[in-house]
Amino acid sequence: MSTAMLVTTLGSVILAALLALLMIPVLVWLERRGAGLIQDRLGPNRTNLFGFRLGGVVQSFADVIKLVFKEEYYPSHIKKARWLFMLAPMITFSAALLAFMVIPFADDLVIDKEILKIQALPVDYGILWFLAIGSVGVIGAVMGGWLSHNKYSLLGSLRASSQMIGYELALALSVISMVITYNSIDFNQMVHFQSSTVLGFLPAWGVVVQPLAAVIFITAVFAETNRAPFNISEGESEIVAGYFTEYTAMKFAMFFMGEYVAMNSASAIVITMFFGGYQLPWTDTKELLDNFTFFAFALMIVIPSVIFFVIRWMRKNNRVRKSVSTDGGRDFETKVLTIALIVMTVVLETILFYIGVVDKSDITSKIAVMLFQIGVFVIKLMIFNLFFIAVRWTLPRFRYDQVQTLGWYYLLPLSLLNIFITAIVVVGVSS
Amino acid sequence: MKNKIKTIPRYGKDKRERLYLPAVLDGLKVTLKRLYENITDINSVDVLEYPEEQPKDITSRYRGLHRLTKREDESIRCVACFMCATACPSNCIFIEATQRDDGIDEKMPKSFKIDLLECIFCGYCVEACPCDAIRMDTGIFSITGKKREDFVLDKERLLSHKGAFGREYSVAGK
Repeated sequence: MSTAMLVTTLGSVILAALLALLMIPVLVWLERRGAGLIQDRLGPNRTNLFGFRLGGVVQSFADVIKLVFKEEYYPSHIKKARWLFMLAPMITFSAALLAFMVIPFADDLVIDKEILKIQALPVDYGILWFLAIGSVGVIGAVMGGWLSHNKYSLLGSLRASSQMIGYELALALSVISMVITYNSIDFNQMVHFQSSTVLGFLPAWGVVVQPLAAVIFITAVFAETNRAPFNISEGESEIVAGYFTEYTAMKFAMFFMGEYVAMNSASAIVITMFFGGYQLPWTDTKELLDNFTFFAFALMIVIPSVIFFVIRWMRKNNRVRKSVSTDGGRDFETKVLTIALIVMTVVLETILFYIGVVDKSDITSKIAVMLFQIGVFVIKLMIFNLFFIAVRWTLPRFRYDQVQTLGWYYLLPLSLLNIFITAIVVVGVSS
Repeated sequence: MKNKIKTIPRYGKDKRERLYLPAVLDGLKVTLKRLYENITDINSVDVLEYPEEQPKDITSRYRGLHRLTKREDESIRCVACFMCATACPSNCIFIEATQRDDGIDEKMPKSFKIDLLECIFCGYCVEACPCDAIRMDTGIFSITGKKREDFVLDKERLLSHKGAFGREYSVAGK
């Protein structure tokens, strides 16, 4: 094992852990403020550390501190099986976390003819891993609901398990049609396929090649992550909080965070399978490496313009209202953040100029392209997470029987039909 | 009569809506439009910045914190008839009656306690009172305390609350 391999493997494990875990407070914040802004409210925006509110994201950390220090409560009938009661949220959380580990964050790095995967788990059967691990999460829900010895919890876990049977078939079958299309079960091969074009001008993204499978997969993935409009197993208006009614403090937080990690993983899978993964449309890694100087200069124009708009938005919006005179300190925050952003841009520009013009060695450009692809991946991830959030605050929850009907009567036949069509087209094209 | 009938169109029957996906996109268009409008100009979101800005739209019918009213001569109006305590669905009013010696009336409460942790602010006590002695017109909507005892209002505290809507004294006759 070479040093480069060690570094990339360690780096991608750390990156995956950071992306999955650090995204939780950001996603909770995005959800709450996004919901607020969609509903003409503001959402949490007061909590600060030394006057730094960062738009309210500090609130999530305050919530974590609160949850850590809350009372540990167990239902009184649980005497010996406490560890089982605690295991349930852990299963849900780890299943969601593990599903994230097979996502390629960037193209394979080739150093001295050694192929290094930028993947926390460097496996080449990613989609099978996702199908296997993704459905384990429901075991936690079933265990939690059953052990709670509470009718609402039991109803919640019943709903979770029957819903799982309903959508899992459609999910797996839509994946099969994608596997036939890409002729691979490796996520990285799928992204490679998607960096080409179809009909000469459209990017060969999964959503363009297989729109029906994309719709089925995204619908099913909403159900798998227990997000609205399919959060019937939680169903707070009908069955209190479903399977985690009896859970408190960090045990509840594990379920809660598991939902967001699952949402993040689902976004990552959808991006990798249907929206070109870490690749920009119309380009692939080779193209980026061949025109590296041009690409660096393009970035040198794009980054400052984005930062310019961010700063302008912040200066306009990060200010105290006239009606509120005592809530001070935002001018200072704006000033510091503006300076930090400008310094960051200058540093990035210098680095880009250096690697684009001065240091034209092969390895620097490869690493730069890798970092760029990670950036593209994170941006796409955030956009899709925002889509998840927007859908949650747009659609009302399905009724329990409607979910079953949708899964069995519509998604399942449609995905079967899609497999037939895909197989016929693939055979017709190749023969 | 005929022109008062308003026919509400039933949605969800035509092909486009039964496909469901176009309707999802329509809904997303609405929410994302709101999100975009509000995120580009956050200060245009019309909200009450609560602790600094207090609500100004509390009407005289709002059931706020209780108070005991007084007669025109600043003495207590309550005659300790126990009507409010009887009407109270959550049994949070505790009255001890005593002889009234100042010649204004015969009876008055020695102590009058309301446990706010039990109170559901239904206003039945106000309805039941024959003397207009208890009212909920203080306009106080937020009650805080550091221990449970802070939430048990005694007679002095109830008498010290001022009415927020002008009518200070009891309007029941003598």
